[in-house]
Amino acid sequence: MKTITPYLLRFALAVTVLTIIFRYFLSYGIEKQSGIIIAISAATYGLLMFASGWYFGRKDGEYLPIYDIGFRFHLTTYLIHNGISLLWIGFGLGSKHENLSVSIMAAVLWGISLLIHFAFFLWARKNSINNLDKEDIFE
Amino acid sequence: MEDDKKLNELLLSWEDTYKKGQLTLWIFMALQESKKYVDEIKNFIEKKSDGTISCEEQSLYRALRKYEHIDVLTYDLKEGNKGPDRKYYYLTNLGQELFNQFVDRNIKIFHSNEIKKILKLNEQ
Repeated sequence: MKTITPYLLRFALAVTVLTIIFRYFLSYGIEKQSGIIIAISAATYGLLMFASGWYFGRKDGEYLPIYDIGFRFHLTTYLIHNGISLLWIGFGLGSKHENLSVSIMAAVLWGISLLIHFAFFLWARKNSINNLDKEDIFE
Repeated sequence: MEDDKKLNELLLSWEDTYKKGQLTLWIFMALQESKKYVDEIKNFIEKKSDGTISCEEQSLYRALRKYEHIDVLTYDLKEGNKGPDRKYYYLTNLGQELFNQFVDRNIKIFHSNEIKKILKLNEQ
């Protein structure tokens, strides 16, 4: 079953680039103990992530209307964001004020919300055939 | 004059709604005949429907992707005249069975004498 679509891959690429840039400015802001840099980088990252999710999600729906209530995009974001964050701190690229346990805790808490989303995804699949909404197949 | 205008508007409105669900049937009919690539499917539909069903290439590609995803059709790659290989689509066993049952349940009823009489098909 084809669930890794071209637009999901493009979204993953965008998330990777945005997250690396965000991680750089976040660590820089923490290092300089600048609340403004931290706030601006977080807000910009949040906005750009939302915009890319909205854009690629819409394109993905036009390409193939997979009925997953956004779960594939959420899972992709989770894996890339937390993967990069853990590696960033793990390889010592973060500020000296950052530690791995905070990133692990963020991944765990986010993971819980991802599990809840997964439960909704499983429930929504009842209305689909091969992950396509029954009402969208023969529209 | 006023009635003609109204009749035309009503006809167009009805046809718009009616045609929305027709693309699947026409795609399946095209592939029932033989394996086809996208341009051939498009030409088949436009020719055989006397131009009443027009399908944009984008809608056709989207429909074919969906039907491939749900395993009712698949394709063979064959060399095109120029450029990349062409995808020649055809119905899978599931697609063929789906088409047969759809026709049995929804199309064949129009061929009963009673319905033909109502539609006045014999008079034409």
